[in-house]
Amino acid sequence: MADSICRTLRDGGLEGEHAPALTIKDRISSPLGLDVFNHVLAQLSSFILAGKSQSRGLVLVALTRSPSFYLELLKSGGVQLNSAQKWIHILDCYSDPLGWKDNPSRHEKANTATDENPGTVALFRDVKDANKLFCSVSELGKDQVSSIFWLLHSDLHEAKIAAVFDYISSMIASLEPMIHPSNGERLSSENRSLRNENLSRGNFSVRFKRRNGRVRQMCEEISVEQSGIKFTPVSSDGQAIGGGPLPKVQFNLELSEKEQMDRASVVLPFEHQGNGKPIQIYDGRRSLADTRTNTVHVPTEASEAADPRKGEIIYLRDSDDERPDSDEDPDDDLDI
Amino acid sequence: MAATKTRVSSFSRNVPATLAPQIPGVKTGPNGTAFVSSGIPDLDRIVGGGFPLGSLVMVMEDPEAPHHMLLLRNFMSQGLVHNQPLLYASTANDPKGFLGTLPSPVTSRADKLSHDDEPVEEKGLRIAWQYKKYFGGSQQILNSQGAMENKHEYGNDFDVRKPLQRQFITGQKVECISLQDCPDLSALRDRCATFLAQFPRKDGSISSVGRIAIQSFCVPECSYFNREWHMLSFIKALRSMIRSSNAVTVVTFLPSVLSPSFSKRWQHMTDMLFSVLAIPDEDKDLAELLTGYQDMVGLLNIHKVARINTQVPVILEATTFSLKLRKRKYLALESLNQAPVDGSSGTSYSTSGSCSSTTSSKPGSLDF
Repeated sequence: MADSICRTLRDGGLEGEHAPALTIKDRISSPLGLDVFNHVLAQLSSFILAGKSQSRGLVLVALTRSPSFYLELLKSGGVQLNSAQKWIHILDCYSDPLGWKDNPSRHEKANTATDENPGTVALFRDVKDANKLFCSVSELGKDQVSSIFWLLHSDLHEAKIAAVFDYISSMIASLEPMIHPSNGERLSSENRSLRNENLSRGNFSVRFKRRNGRVRQMCEEISVEQSGIKFTPVSSDGQAIGGGPLPKVQFNLELSEKEQMDRASVVLPFEHQGNGKPIQIYDGRRSLADTRTNTVHVPTEASEAADPRKGEIIYLRDSDDERPDSDEDPDDDLDI
Repeated sequence: MAATKTRVSSFSRNVPATLAPQIPGVKTGPNGTAFVSSGIPDLDRIVGGGFPLGSLVMVMEDPEAPHHMLLLRNFMSQGLVHNQPLLYASTANDPKGFLGTLPSPVTSRADKLSHDDEPVEEKGLRIAWQYKKYFGGSQQILNSQGAMENKHEYGNDFDVRKPLQRQFITGQKVECISLQDCPDLSALRDRCATFLAQFPRKDGSISSVGRIAIQSFCVPECSYFNREWHMLSFIKALRSMIRSSNAVTVVTFLPSVLSPSFSKRWQHMTDMLFSVLAIPDEDKDLAELLTGYQDMVGLLNIHKVARINTQVPVILEATTFSLKLRKRKYLALESLNQAPVDGSSGTSYSTSGSCSSTTSSKPGSLDF
């Protein structure tokens, strides 16, 4: 499923459509967003290098990690960076985002340091001005945008802003913790181990907005190890996710297997006395001491031979009655 | 005052029979209201006639699906077909381009009648949980055969695959505004005021009727996006202008990008409130639950129905409908034909089906 995300970004948008846009959302209880972002970045870079994607270049806006981190990441992922200048441009908003380093000599030093690395790295020093930021991005890109993706920490933004990002993106990938930590803040040993679990594993769910106007939701488990990131399909637990938009109706027409078996094994009131003994129905004519002779005949039960002179109660279950319904109306013989 | 007119209830307004409008596309209803068609005959029938003149209709969009465009397009096309002037505002740089996507009305009789197909005969016994929907079929056929002319005049079916003929669009009848040109909503308000001045409401016959369609009013692309009080006061001004004119306004907006309190205020401000919902794709559970899942485009919820001049509320039988494209051409609304579900795992609902649902995107009303 993560592959399908990368493939969608790789294929880009059709003529007249908006470019596919991916939002990766994580939160403090499941902080794996950066790993997912890096994974998508590495995949997309390899697609671009192999020439398989609609886009021919990549513009990376580095906000929380330095450009060298990303270049190292790509190198370790097997991406050749020799001709990197042609296809990757990094907008460095990490080294000096607010323009605090006014000293020109230091500024030059920063530039020379990055010259060793391949790829154009442009320093950007005015992150507060969003207009300028986007202008720089589009300058570096030089062409039309084929696809775009970003990482958002949903705890840091108002719900409204996160909703805006959901509105403009065509794929929304969110990371949820596998085990929800308890609400209390107490650092019990259980909580700590749970939280540590959440630092390396989580639930990765993606909502795709399809062209037919429907939404496709997919879920996977994600685990981050030393070797890298791994996505495994989630085992279905039988819970219906899509019950949301529909009203619930509280009837059930069909019985499940278990329910059918239970139903077959129910003993009807006429057939048991409640204490394991065979059925004894008091018909009012004999004393209770003579109950042995009044045992009811039940076809399914092995019973003693009844005295033909005494009364019997023959009980047939409706389900055992094999005769088909006759056409007679049983009310016909009523004479009112 | 016509002495022979029977009163429906003690709260109904007596309207003399001479007030029947002469113009096509307008129908009189009880309590002195006049309706125009929404462009979707099923919707007209569900809300009791159509959109009343002088009402504000709002559609809450789903950020994941563009179904509100279907409703808006049909509304606009219906107005143009009936020669009703239209004012259209959207955030696109060139709103006129949208007019090319309006559907054209269906004219041939054969197409119309073949809607009411008999339900496929199935072998075996079917338990009809919602039996009333099977009654409607035969009645519709009778109606459409008998009153064909009336139906054709008031509300049309639209073929979404055919664009509206140019003769309807060109001419003085359509004005387009781009919301991006309005840094301040007062410019938009003035345009609406001048447009609505053409259709003043006075006692007497209705001379002409207008429609306003505003698409995606609060999207982030607009420069007034952060000024929520501004947007709210615009809606309020629009509503008061609409009340005193013979026009209907449809505004679509996205409730999730507004603060919750403002989203609620907007919902209270409107006369009619719908919301559209996207449905999950390839959802096996949903396919089992709903018949006709494959043809469904989305869901429509009716939260509020306009009640002007009356104190009597309308209680709908169902508030959730599925949007379908019959034969991939005609937009239709159908009530949900739902299989019962095991209720032991769900929560118990204490509210009964009514128009006043709770929050914007997830309705909580029952639907029997």
